[in-house]
Amino acid sequence: MNFRIINYILGWVLIIEAAFLLMPFFVGLYCGESSATAFLIGAAISAAVGTLFVIKKPKDTVFFIKEGFVAVALSWIALSTFGALPFVISGEIPKFIDALFETVSGFTTTGSSILSDVEALSHASLFWRSFTHWIGGMGVLVFLLAVLPMAGGSQMHLMRAESPGPSVSKLVPKTQYTAIILYGIYILLTIIQFILLIIGGMPIFDAITITFGTAGTGGFGIKNDSIASYSPYCQWIIAAFMVIFGVNFNVYFLMLLKRFKQAISGEEFRTYLGLVAGSTALIAYNIYKNCNMVEGTLRHAFFQVASIMTTTGFASTDYEIWPSFSHVILVLLMFIGASAGSTGGGIKVSRIILLAKRARQEIRHYFHPKRVTKIHLDGKVVESEVIKTTSAYLITYVLLFAASVLLISLNTADTTTAFTAVAATINNIGPGLAQVGPTDNFGFFNAFSKSVLIFDMLVGRLELFPMLILFNPNVWFSKRIKKNI
Amino acid sequence: MSLFGKITNSERQVLNVIIVGCGSVGTTLAERLSAEGHYITMIDKDANSLKRVCDTYDVMGIVGNGSSYSILMEAGIESANLVIAVTESDELNLLCCTVAKKVGNCAAIARVRTPDYVDDLPYLRTRLGISMIINPELEAAREIARLLRLPSAISINPFAKGSVEMVKFKLPEKCTLCGKSLMQLQDILRGVLICGVERGEDLTIPGGSFEFEPGDVISFIAPVRNTQLFFKRISIETTAVSSAIIAGGGRISYYLAKMLIDEGIEVKIIEQDENRCSYLAENLDKAIVLCGNSNSEDLLLESGIRETQSFISLTDADEENILLSLYAKKATNAKVITKIDRTSFHNVITELDMDSVIYPRYLITESIIAYARAKHNSLGSSNIETLYQVFDGRAEAIELRVDQVEVTDTPLMKMNLKKDMLIACVNRGGRIFIPSGNDCLMMDDTVIIVTKHSGFDEINDILM
Repeated sequence: MNFRIINYILGWVLIIEAAFLLMPFFVGLYCGESSATAFLIGAAISAAVGTLFVIKKPKDTVFFIKEGFVAVALSWIALSTFGALPFVISGEIPKFIDALFETVSGFTTTGSSILSDVEALSHASLFWRSFTHWIGGMGVLVFLLAVLPMAGGSQMHLMRAESPGPSVSKLVPKTQYTAIILYGIYILLTIIQFILLIIGGMPIFDAITITFGTAGTGGFGIKNDSIASYSPYCQWIIAAFMVIFGVNFNVYFLMLLKRFKQAISGEEFRTYLGLVAGSTALIAYNIYKNCNMVEGTLRHAFFQVASIMTTTGFASTDYEIWPSFSHVILVLLMFIGASAGSTGGGIKVSRIILLAKRARQEIRHYFHPKRVTKIHLDGKVVESEVIKTTSAYLITYVLLFAASVLLISLNTADTTTAFTAVAATINNIGPGLAQVGPTDNFGFFNAFSKSVLIFDMLVGRLELFPMLILFNPNVWFSKRIKKNI
Repeated sequence: MSLFGKITNSERQVLNVIIVGCGSVGTTLAERLSAEGHYITMIDKDANSLKRVCDTYDVMGIVGNGSSYSILMEAGIESANLVIAVTESDELNLLCCTVAKKVGNCAAIARVRTPDYVDDLPYLRTRLGISMIINPELEAAREIARLLRLPSAISINPFAKGSVEMVKFKLPEKCTLCGKSLMQLQDILRGVLICGVERGEDLTIPGGSFEFEPGDVISFIAPVRNTQLFFKRISIETTAVSSAIIAGGGRISYYLAKMLIDEGIEVKIIEQDENRCSYLAENLDKAIVLCGNSNSEDLLLESGIRETQSFISLTDADEENILLSLYAKKATNAKVITKIDRTSFHNVITELDMDSVIYPRYLITESIIAYARAKHNSLGSSNIETLYQVFDGRAEAIELRVDQVEVTDTPLMKMNLKKDMLIACVNRGGRIFIPSGNDCLMMDDTVIIVTKHSGFDEINDILM
């Protein structure tokens, strides 16, 4: 393990976080809030610790996949820990475990909150909560790669650990420019959504925070009833942009290159849009009785489907009152999640496609056991290695999920709450059902359950393995064979 | 790909390079070219080896056939500046370059190594519009032939179309140079410029008070004529070899034997494969082709290894070549040359007392890098004539043409030159001399520069 380079990367992540923390400080300053100083103190601490780490540039800058994974996992832990400090310092979220939960929930773009009254928070804190979504959506290390030129090709290990999806591809040969292009598209889409919301008459502060929440597919609202009180126009815009941010960013890159045909012909892209449309239709049919308004029914169905599938977690209405068929659809969508290479979470549509094809292949083998078959995606053969890692991903996912539900059930009254609380965090969605529904919060859990959920959120955002590798003792202790002299 | 073109146009022109084939040469090229800041896209049919390259270097990989139109489009051929085809197959390389030339507006380099095409090369270059055709085996054979002409040298790198050379040799035990400083030797050293001395691990660019020791490995630059005179002055053997034993009958052996026979040198080739032996016997009339395993000591003795003046191991296995050469060093006083394909474990190999070692892979990457640098600079006319990596890659020797007024008509000692850099030789319209501090550079001179900096691609780079 090359801990020098890991420390160096961690240091830069903290320095960048310090720069990010200045943003809510300025917001607080502008609004004349006392909590602003808490963010300045947080930024100072983060910058100080970061500088300590980067002061000595490591000689050996080569790192392998293990270092990449460990660096990413530790970066996210450090990021959340330091990001939680201002909440504690300002006293708005006095308990550290609560502040950590809120920050992890922000960075991992989950959107689960422990706050019962969001509106009581200061503007600076509200801004920071939403801003963490935006940072976490595309990823901090991708940002680091964009701004910090590093030698060698090993940076790809960082990107691979942080970007969602079964396989990560570069857009252009240089990792740095791949990162710059990704952030460029991200910022562009963010600005478009912001402008559209302003046109819809939304106040500027609301528009900024909600755009951040949508772009990162996070889901922190700044109102207790999430999005319900905004105009239908704004809800349509937000719903549409949730879907847009849940699309693989490669699609947008291809569109920028004017290769539209290739952009929209992707199997994942089509399946993703098909799932959104199909689920919306089914839910709209199912809830039409309750609502009785064509526009309202469609809007609420589309909004909730988009919100859950892209793992954003906004709510335009209290869907807990919907019939159970709609609930089941939403729970299924929770697991499917958004597209690979988007800002969303969940298992990812492309993995579901691969696994479904793998299942079909297995069934076909019973008819002709000697038949040679290959799995195709977008007209290309998928490497058996990718299928293998995808299967391993699913197994690990199910095991982690089961273990988490078991641990959480010690602390909850009913199974639905335990099940959906874990589903909502491990898939980075936000609200679940029953006690953790869209109008409730996660505040009632005890510290132990919160720690489990914090872990689930991080594991879900980093696609399991970077976090799990931290539990391998070889990371921390290098085996030395003593020589007999 | 106009998007990232805009981002990166800021400083120097960055090349978009497509490398087809990620075998050993492709990998070495990817490493070197991406280190120089170019955008590299690799194409290969084998996803596994592609993944290995993409994990180690900052390059993008595309799985597929490099001569297919759609794959080339996917790799961005339209905005590529340079396509390098180095797959196993000559035909694929040529086809790939032809397609690339038709689709994009780029320079194309192909590796073609079958002897069948050697005579077609001028045709291929002009008619197919391929910028550069490289034949690593032929290059290696040329280098070996050069060494056999001057067996006392460890390596010879020619500049200025062969009129100047950089020669490396090892100082023998009893030599007039030993124990004396450069100042004392001014008379003996006239007409040559010592540009580096390797002693063990250390490399020094010697100053006036530097004293030579036996076993030093000295590199100097001199016009060809002066090398001979210099060696005679310090009584080092300068006669070419008159007989050679070649172990292994591959392509390099074929090219080499052909060259040596033309020079009237007696050639024996030891090759195991019977079919290959008959091929060689058919095409190389005057060579003595022995069919047998070159690993056998008896066969080597029988073939007359004790009497031969040179022994060249060119089998496919590096280990075998090393072993054979070490044996030959023990058994004879002959000039021994070893071919090594792999580039790893370099430091172990240099520690062995091996006389001359040839790395065909370095030869080919050097010429491609030189081409890329020249293209990088001007995207057209080339400033770099020749480029060598010297002192195990710790320095570069570059031949540049002077085409900027900033460096002309000022005495060298008054210019603000970079450190760790040496202007070793100037070629002014055919007159070759070693510049002193009072000399000036003039337009259209070509200069040979030895430098520890990398990335030189125009004459202005010598300034601070």
